[in-house]
Amino acid sequence: MGVIETQAAEVRRKASGPAVAPSPSVRMRRAVGRSLPYLALLPTLVAFLLLLGYPVLRLVETSLQHWGLKELFSGTTTWVGLANYQRILADPEFGTVLVRTFIFTAACVGLTIGVGTLVALLMERLNHLVQVLLSVAMVLAWATPIVTGVVVFQWLFDSKLGVVNWAISSVGIFGNWLNHSWFETGPSTFGIIVLLIVWQAVPFVALSLYAGLLGIGVDLHEAARVDGASERQIFWHVTLPLLRPLILMLTFLSIIWDFKVYTQVYAMRQGGPDGQTVTLSVYSYIVGISQSHYDIAAAVSMVMVVLLLIVLIPYIRTMIRSQEEA
Amino acid sequence: MNRIVRRGLVNLVGLAVAFLFAFPVYWMVISAFKDTNDIQTYTPVFFPVPTLDNFVHAINAPHFMEYLGNSVFVTLSTLALALVVGFLAAAVVARVRIRGRRGFLILVAIAQMAPFEALLIPFFLVLRDAGMDNKLTSLVVIYFIFTLPFTIWSLRGFIAGIPVDLEEAAMVDGASRVGAFVRVTLPLLWPGLVATATFCFITAWNEFLYANSLMRSTYTLPVWLVSFQTNFGTDWGATMAASTLFTLPVLAFFLIVQGRMVGGLTAGAVKG
Repeated sequence: MGVIETQAAEVRRKASGPAVAPSPSVRMRRAVGRSLPYLALLPTLVAFLLLLGYPVLRLVETSLQHWGLKELFSGTTTWVGLANYQRILADPEFGTVLVRTFIFTAACVGLTIGVGTLVALLMERLNHLVQVLLSVAMVLAWATPIVTGVVVFQWLFDSKLGVVNWAISSVGIFGNWLNHSWFETGPSTFGIIVLLIVWQAVPFVALSLYAGLLGIGVDLHEAARVDGASERQIFWHVTLPLLRPLILMLTFLSIIWDFKVYTQVYAMRQGGPDGQTVTLSVYSYIVGISQSHYDIAAAVSMVMVVLLLIVLIPYIRTMIRSQEEA
Repeated sequence: MNRIVRRGLVNLVGLAVAFLFAFPVYWMVISAFKDTNDIQTYTPVFFPVPTLDNFVHAINAPHFMEYLGNSVFVTLSTLALALVVGFLAAAVVARVRIRGRRGFLILVAIAQMAPFEALLIPFFLVLRDAGMDNKLTSLVVIYFIFTLPFTIWSLRGFIAGIPVDLEEAAMVDGASRVGAFVRVTLPLLWPGLVATATFCFITAWNEFLYANSLMRSTYTLPVWLVSFQTNFGTDWGATMAASTLFTLPVLAFFLIVQGRMVGGLTAGAVKG
């Protein structure tokens, strides 16, 4: 804590007269003082242990047991080893869901980062007024609760009265879209879900990258221009390399968020039409909560966690390193 | 000239993008104020004669008040619990060099990224065993652990941002360690507390998966809103009014934070 604290202690000691051996009560107070920080951490540690550690253990345990409705009421279970994992890995439906989740995540992340970067670059080139308008519009999209977003997008894309079908029809060149049903096929329903996710995710990415761009400053661009670099060269060889760590972190975060996304997918069409928009987290919900196959659902969740760890470990490592430098 | 045209075009694109981002929210609010005729039409009405019928309809819909009460209780309890527990931990990691600090921070970082979507099954089984399903307190406990890691992480940053010199000056003047922290740093921490509280509020207020899976009758508003759309599928006016009402507190919180964050944390507190 440095010199000042030592000085403070010095001042206090001088004020209390000549140094004498500390009395038992003072020693007691000091012991309490030393343990105070640990006491303050205790509630958090207990919460982590009981509400995170224990559920994780139960997840692993459930995935290795036979756990259905019968076990829920009897309370006795049997260990089955890796049978649940073997069952889902042999199930073609699980394979389909897994591949679908990968494609869905790639689409969401790619679009979010791509559009976010473009919007950030656009922000840099706008008048002050337009810039403020765009920021306010993005904060509106960002602040919208997820379930609100789902309900509003259902209304926008309603087949009969939706404003989107009217707008497309009004343009004229695309033909008549009135009564077009967006939720009839899997890909089209996914399109709406991806659009909703990207609409809400771009503001965070764009505003973060815009802040990053401001950090780069004009000096470097000026220097590059003096050296005869074109705008395109400046972007690829100056701006992008400097933004790379930030873009990487935002990509990691987007993958983590979009891979396990549940609410948008489930609330939009409950995985329909015909189960064609069931992703991993929705699959785990349907198998576990709706069909009471808790064992299979736990195994599915374990696969989800293991796949997430691939992205999570480097992310957490970078996050801790940046905190320690700060 | 060419340059002016290009600047104009860029700003036009900016306006178009702003329109796209704002439109869904605008359309929600404007639809909420439309009467049935303006809703039930193939040619959308962009500037309707406003009516409050939809709001009356939504508020009088079955369970709205009950679930609103549930949501408020769960959200405020989560917020209070997370802030108190998180603040204690954050103050320690930000100000005291104790053994195991690094390990604790790593634990918080890992907890913050925990995929709660994957922990639904164990939470469901544990709460069933304990007879705690369908209880609001279960949701409070779960949302508390959702928000605690970020609360610690965020408050730690805010506390670390307030210069420790101020506390040391108070200690030279005879204040105790804890006394200096409470009297000097805590009053400067308000913006950080409000910002962190906003995060807790939004997480608890919006949560859908656990509220939908663990509750059987004591639902919260997100579950109500989604089922409202299903049950009143054709009454888009009332659905949009309900969505608007549900969104308002979140927007209000966002605005408060924006206002409070301006001005900086310790502007003027330390000279030089």
